[in-house]
Amino acid sequence: MILANYLVAGFVFCAGLYTVLTRRNLIKIVMGLSLMEGSTYLLFISMAYRAGSTAPVLVSPPAGRSAHDLVRGNVADPVLQNFCLTAIVIGVAVTAVFLAIVVRIAQHYRTLDADRIRELRG
Amino acid sequence: MTATDERGQPIRGEAVEAEPKHRIVVGLLLTAGTAVALGAALLDIPRANAHLSEVARYALQVSLPSWNLTEPVNEVVYGTRGFDTFGETFLLLAAVVSVVLLSRPREPRTGYFGEDVAGKREQSEVDPSEKPGADEREARSAESGEMDEDSPAAGRSGTQRPKTPDNERVGGRGPERAEAMAVVVRGGVRAATPVLAVAGCYLVAWGYSPGGGFPGGAVVLGVVLLVYSAFGRGRIARVIKPSVVETAEMAGAALIILTEALGLALKGSFTANWLPLTPPGTIRSGGVVQLFSAGELVEVGTGLIIAVFALLAMSHDWARDTSSGEEGDEGDEGGGREGGAKQ
Repeated sequence: MILANYLVAGFVFCAGLYTVLTRRNLIKIVMGLSLMEGSTYLLFISMAYRAGSTAPVLVSPPAGRSAHDLVRGNVADPVLQNFCLTAIVIGVAVTAVFLAIVVRIAQHYRTLDADRIRELRG
Repeated sequence: MTATDERGQPIRGEAVEAEPKHRIVVGLLLTAGTAVALGAALLDIPRANAHLSEVARYALQVSLPSWNLTEPVNEVVYGTRGFDTFGETFLLLAAVVSVVLLSRPREPRTGYFGEDVAGKREQSEVDPSEKPGADEREARSAESGEMDEDSPAAGRSGTQRPKTPDNERVGGRGPERAEAMAVVVRGGVRAATPVLAVAGCYLVAWGYSPGGGFPGGAVVLGVVLLVYSAFGRGRIARVIKPSVVETAEMAGAALIILTEALGLALKGSFTANWLPLTPPGTIRSGGVVQLFSAGELVEVGTGLIIAVFALLAMSHDWARDTSSGEEGDEGDEGGGREGGAKQ
């Protein structure tokens, strides 16, 4: 039942979105964004799954299969695995930038509360 | 009767912060709307018995004949969808540059740590009247105690940190002050890091890991962080410094641009293979895929190192705490104006 994976990915995304919308602590907002990123990894990997398939590796296929069978399609989707790799790297980069900004905000305003950093402070 | 701990202090329950939230109703409504839309979409996307997409089948078909690669994911990452990866590489580079820009202080530097010491003169010119409060003095002295190897006052402060905690009593109450961790951790890291480093580079070199340079770069960061946490910063300071790591990062980016641009110049299309192919399962079997992957290893490894160490070393530049009273605040600004008028 790969559908369960899809729905869990949707739930994790919504949990992250709710965190971002309602929390005031900036660290928790960044954690919510990380949750949303994580849900896309789960979705990509679940979408790459094919029933009864094997890994997309063209060397020493499982018993009863030949490399030719693999080429004709009974493997997990390599393109979606590529998307997942891409998403992980982007996720790390975005989280690093957010955390650097959060540290600077904390140093400048001396608070992590998103509602208290609206006033201008020179 | 309340429970007490061994020193007779009453045991308090764990501190629970009444966490402030805002816009709960709007947040719930928006989340519910998104959940409905996402749920409807997720119910409708292809499931486990769908056919592979065109791109995936194309990648599987050309992987062995055109690239001599037994790893189709690598073929997709660096071949069929190489342009996507190319853009992503420079997105990572842009993020690293942002982190460096956000985290660096205002003066020339030689290492990731101890930048406040290097910038002391410039800082005093910019903020001549800034006088730290008691809390801030305490925090800064604690911080400079940790940083004392770099400061010129290290010799006379007399707070030499022990190299290793091996001679300290086990289970002492004070904070650990040693640079390195205990002998068990050091032994474990000594055993693990060579295996990790060789395995990471092997997977990239022979093209057996999906994504090649991306997981390889993460392994490089892991090795550096293991050595840093087990042996302290003195052990990595000669290699992990901005002049070396940032140069390597730029060299990796240049290698990737060169690899892809030469495909355009020699073969007429970006990401085209212009290198001779060797039989599958050898180092050069993927042609430019392997070159791209090696460039990505350098780029991702050094990029993550820069981002992590920039964040680790970001500990200075706190604004004055003005919440204690308005008098202090006004005096502050007056002092600032005076300082400005003098210049």
